[in-house]
Amino acid sequence: MNIIELKGVKKDYPLGNTIVHAVRGVDLCVEEGDFFSIVGPSGSGKTTLLNLIGCIDNPTEGSIKIHDQEITSMKDKDLTNLRLYKIGFIFQTFNLIPVLNVRENVEFPLLLMKKFSKAEIRKRAEKLIEEVGLKEYIDHRPAELSGGQRQRVAIARALVTNPDIVLADEPTANLDSETGANILELMKELNEIEKTTFIFSTHDPDVLKYAKDVVKIRDGMIVSREELKH
Amino acid sequence: MGIIFKIAWRNIFRHKGKSFIIGVILFLGSFIMTAGNGVLSGMNKGLQENIVNRFTGDIVLIATNQRDEAVVGGWSLTPTEVISGYTNIKAILLKQPYIESFLPVCRGFSMILNEAGDMGFSGLLGVDIDDYQRMFQSNLVLVEGRMLSSTERGVLVTAGARKAIYNSMEMWLTPVDSPFILSNLSPEAMSNSNSLNIQSNMVLMGMSADGNQLDIRVPVVGIAKYKYLDSIWQGYSILDLESFRECFGYVTAQDTEIKISEEKERILKEEENLDSLFEDKNIFQKVETKTSAYQIGKIKPKRVAISTNMDRDAGIYNIVFVKLKRGYKLKDALLKLNIELSNSKASAKAISWKKAAGSIGDMVSFIKVILIVFVALLFLVAAIIITNTLSMSAIERTTEIGMMRAVGADKSFVAKMFASETAILSFFFGGLGMVIGAIVLPLISWLKVPAGTNDFLLLVFGGDYFNPILDTGDIIAGILILAFVTVLAMLYPVIVATRITPLEAIARD
Repeated sequence: MNIIELKGVKKDYPLGNTIVHAVRGVDLCVEEGDFFSIVGPSGSGKTTLLNLIGCIDNPTEGSIKIHDQEITSMKDKDLTNLRLYKIGFIFQTFNLIPVLNVRENVEFPLLLMKKFSKAEIRKRAEKLIEEVGLKEYIDHRPAELSGGQRQRVAIARALVTNPDIVLADEPTANLDSETGANILELMKELNEIEKTTFIFSTHDPDVLKYAKDVVKIRDGMIVSREELKH
Repeated sequence: MGIIFKIAWRNIFRHKGKSFIIGVILFLGSFIMTAGNGVLSGMNKGLQENIVNRFTGDIVLIATNQRDEAVVGGWSLTPTEVISGYTNIKAILLKQPYIESFLPVCRGFSMILNEAGDMGFSGLLGVDIDDYQRMFQSNLVLVEGRMLSSTERGVLVTAGARKAIYNSMEMWLTPVDSPFILSNLSPEAMSNSNSLNIQSNMVLMGMSADGNQLDIRVPVVGIAKYKYLDSIWQGYSILDLESFRECFGYVTAQDTEIKISEEKERILKEEENLDSLFEDKNIFQKVETKTSAYQIGKIKPKRVAISTNMDRDAGIYNIVFVKLKRGYKLKDALLKLNIELSNSKASAKAISWKKAAGSIGDMVSFIKVILIVFVALLFLVAAIIITNTLSMSAIERTTEIGMMRAVGADKSFVAKMFASETAILSFFFGGLGMVIGAIVLPLISWLKVPAGTNDFLLLVFGGDYFNPILDTGDIIAGILILAFVTVLAMLYPVIVATRITPLEAIARD
């Protein structure tokens, strides 16, 4: 069953007097529980495509459906709720709230939901922090963590709401190879256990060995789609 | 502690520099506002104490045909119109439940004459001195001599008026039967102390509109000064009521005592008879007259005591000072009283003390407006600086805010976060400013900074000493103003912050 459907999606950006065609008519379907990778060189449109899927950006043209819901016509409030309840984000740079410690950062989306008790929020956050191996850093602030540790906090935060989709934009780009591999292992494990759909962009060939599906993108267009068997 | 408050609180410490700048601005703003409110309240209270309670009352009744309403604080030499039928007005005033007390007075300017042909001027209040002191909290204090009694003729000259009279007429007034006090001489008189022209009485000629005035000689009973705002009120010396009326050619209480025979009254009433007197064209005849030169020295003071049995109210007055019961609104009282006066066809109208005080009242309002405008400008500048600093802060935090929005924080969350930061700063720094202001104001009062003889300072201080006070109303008003400024200052930054999109955060990366 398709969790994400893109039809004829285009995205243009004005840049001075010219228009940059970042995405040029993409059709794409992603199945629930997929571990999906978008690969391509820098400037190929990977991040733009992820932003469009993640309701962070609006397409210039085309249709995007998540759980059969058309998101291009949704209001800001509904898009915010969709991001909160259905989508988890792992950014290229770690983007944590600097004034909150590890636990508070992970708890943040649950607090926004306002539907769990304090004890439940703490329990879920601590469980994920333990899973990403940061139990002993639970009271540390982002500035006191390494790049890898911060990325793991971001992963825990993305997963704490049990989202249907996790979008990760080059999650290993700023990490050393060992930490990057650990992160991908963790994501893979969560994909298999929780059946969470993962979509990540990368241009690192080492990352591809973890993906089930790989879409190659160049100049804003999908050039190939390949199902990998490991 | 909610997540919004937690983030806001920690962000304040994270951005210490900016928080400190905003804090200092809020501190100074609220401190100056508190001090300003204290000065305004002190001034209001002082003015209430010193002008309303000690000189004018809350309401002043003047003649309906009185054009220039500044009958107390205006120093125009134009004669004050007379109020006729005071007995009727008195009955109206007695019936009003909101009136605490009232005092009718005569008010005018008189020329002061001497044998040498010099001329001086003096403002005069013709009053029953006992009633005056009772109504205005013994505002007159003696400098020399003794206090005028209700039953005698005489004048209480203010120390300021004595100085002015000396400067214009080189005549130094000393109370009758009172020793000459060298140390009380003004610097100008002191420089001429060997050949001083010392006088214990003075010849007054009232400046009235109808030319009925008389030259009268009155003994100087005492030299006095006003306890508060003397430099403003010293222009008014106090003359006994009957002498005043004689001097200005008004109907005196004694005049009303004169009994006219029934025959004379009948003739006076017959207008036709009166007209017939002038029918004869030869009524005037040219005759040789012999007049001796007018000599001021020949004017003798009246020694006749004023009878206590006389109905003083039957004579003429110019002004009635009215004090209201505590807490009664001046506006309401003015409205009610004017309706009553109008319905009774009385020849008087009620005006506020500020109008009657003329330039003094205007100056009071002016000083108040200046202080309010100053505080408002200060807060406007503070609001602009805070707005600018917070807006910069919002832009600098685009990544953080955009990321929060990306993971599901809605616009209201961002708005609340920014509002909380400003509110916390406002609460602590603004509150501190108010507390320090509230501590400093009594200290300033305790220091008893004198206003000296500067009229402007006397009005700003509301009395002889700088006495700023802060009441509950001021504190509540201060909190409300601070809250308003905080909201005003955070409005634009909140809009800037809520407009930040997750995409901007990513683009910035």
